[in-house]
Amino acid sequence: MSVSTAAYDPSGPAGHLPSRAGEAKLRLDEWQLALPLALAFAALFVAPLLLLVGVSFFNDDKITQAGFGSWIKFFGDPFNYKVIGDTLLLGVKTVCTTVLIGYPLALVYLDLPARLQRVLLFIIVLPLLLSVVVRTFAWIVVLGREGMVNQVLQGLGIISEPLRLLQTELGLVISLTQIEMPLMLLPLISVMSRLDPNLRDASAALGASRWRTLFTVILPLSMPGLVAGCLLVFASSTTAFISQTVIGGVRLIYLPLLIWQQSLVVYNWPLAAVASLSLVVSVLSVIAALSYLGRRSSGHLHG
Amino acid sequence: MMRQSFSRRSLLAGASALGGASLLPGAAFAKGSIVATTYPGTWEDAYRTVVLPLLKKKEDIDLELAPLFAMDQIGKAKAARGAPPFDVFVLDPGPRIVGIDGGLFEKFDGKKLSNLSKIPAGFTDDYGVHVSAQVVGIAYNPKKVPAPKGWADLLKDPWVSRLGLTGFQTTFGTSSLIELSKLYGGSLTNVDPALVELKKVLPKVAAVGLPAAMPGLFQQGQCDVMYTNTQTVATLKGKGIDVEFVKPESGAIAFYTTMHVAKGTTELANAYKYLDLVVSKEVQEALTKPPYNFIPINKDVVLPADLPMKSLDEMSKYVEHDWAKINPLRAAWIEKFNKEMAK
Repeated sequence: MSVSTAAYDPSGPAGHLPSRAGEAKLRLDEWQLALPLALAFAALFVAPLLLLVGVSFFNDDKITQAGFGSWIKFFGDPFNYKVIGDTLLLGVKTVCTTVLIGYPLALVYLDLPARLQRVLLFIIVLPLLLSVVVRTFAWIVVLGREGMVNQVLQGLGIISEPLRLLQTELGLVISLTQIEMPLMLLPLISVMSRLDPNLRDASAALGASRWRTLFTVILPLSMPGLVAGCLLVFASSTTAFISQTVIGGVRLIYLPLLIWQQSLVVYNWPLAAVASLSLVVSVLSVIAALSYLGRRSSGHLHG
Repeated sequence: MMRQSFSRRSLLAGASALGGASLLPGAAFAKGSIVATTYPGTWEDAYRTVVLPLLKKKEDIDLELAPLFAMDQIGKAKAARGAPPFDVFVLDPGPRIVGIDGGLFEKFDGKKLSNLSKIPAGFTDDYGVHVSAQVVGIAYNPKKVPAPKGWADLLKDPWVSRLGLTGFQTTFGTSSLIELSKLYGGSLTNVDPALVELKKVLPKVAAVGLPAAMPGLFQQGQCDVMYTNTQTVATLKGKGIDVEFVKPESGAIAFYTTMHVAKGTTELANAYKYLDLVVSKEVQEALTKPPYNFIPINKDVVLPADLPMKSLDEMSKYVEHDWAKINPLRAAWIEKFNKEMAK
């Protein structure tokens, strides 16, 4: 995503190209700067990931007998395909709702005076400042049988029996939408606030309606931010173990719950490793597809 | 040792020693300190407030508490392979057996405890010492539903539509489902009847959640009946929530929380001093008081009034489960629960 936003940045290196030798020197310097992080990344992320792959190729929970047993067990069970499907679907639903609510909010943000922008930005970032446990339990209070939503609806006489919102996918998507919203809005706003306001005026001067301006000018130009937001929300909501289990309950089974059960309740680490790798691979493939689409759309703009 | 005045030099020496020691995990703890696990939540609060200052005062031992659930402790100890990250475990019966099988404990000698005579016979063995009891039964909200009589009532109206369920992740959940199963032809090793009966009423059930989420769901009125232990009931009551404990007709379930010395510990003597203090009258009595509400194992401690038994001896009549038989089956039960309860 950094690639796509950088490609869009009008004040980027393309503006004032340094000489060839200077560029090579710069690149070397940049590499040296990146080295500590690269080493830390290799030691703390790549190595454990390889260990995880290694552990998955054992048949028994004592990790003594090598083989494909855990893979065969996991993928031989149709139930697990449903779990993988449900997990990805939850991500898609959350992405859809955050886009539907977040995009208009970002448009509103653009038109606000600077002082109100700061207030709105604070409100947007607020969920990030609270612990996920607190946010999640707050949603229990809101969505519960005797929660705010039900009390208001019952008080207004709209419903007689309390609605079942907790422990349903609807309730989960509602709460994830709020919890993940900053991840959608922050990249979106950072890209959109760099759009040249003259573009909108030009579009209007050329006779385009406001809707047409939105779909043919603003939306394509905000694509890098939108894609980045979708990636973050998707990755975060598919792996949101606490929200999934506390708000969704354990009748809605997603991969993080399976991983937790296998690794920390029954201690079958090989099976937990297989489940973790399925989560990593399935989420990464969706993310790869999304960022490919994002690159294509920004390539289309600049190419 | 603590009274010596600090010069800048000794501070510097101390600081560099600490810095150096942090590179050597085995030697990171100075003499007179011990790392013990504790369960997150009430256990952590209680041990931090009651045991930690007492251990410092009486034995001059610094207690560092590592809040971890039982199976997390086993996992960490196994992963550390011989260099335990803590000196004392606190475990429930199931994980205790896993720890024994994994050879994670030092051989325990109850005679090293000065309080040995104060705890009932059989409360120490070669592996560790009982430090607390748990009694599991049914909790309900008396303002919302009548008192259920036994496990079977959970599956009937009006209770079933207000029921909060948990699966086999915890000791109390597993034990309760076993007892439910027994009423429908199941046994200690056969929980299928319970799952069959639960599945029949599943659309009515108010909540199926993680064990840790249940008190919150009860508090919020999402469910009004659940199986749980007396400690959770007492804690909820302490927060002003309408809740009562019922001993099921077929008997309440009892089990014991035990502590164990980690194999390979460098703080063996201190570990015994810690355990001796934990089972002492002073600590056990303090832990029975609100907001901790532990069930004591020291014979000199008077049991709190709202417990379902008058004495520790009465608990011997409660249902106890053999976790050596349950452990090998539990992984499959958890999977089965997932599949049967999944939407």
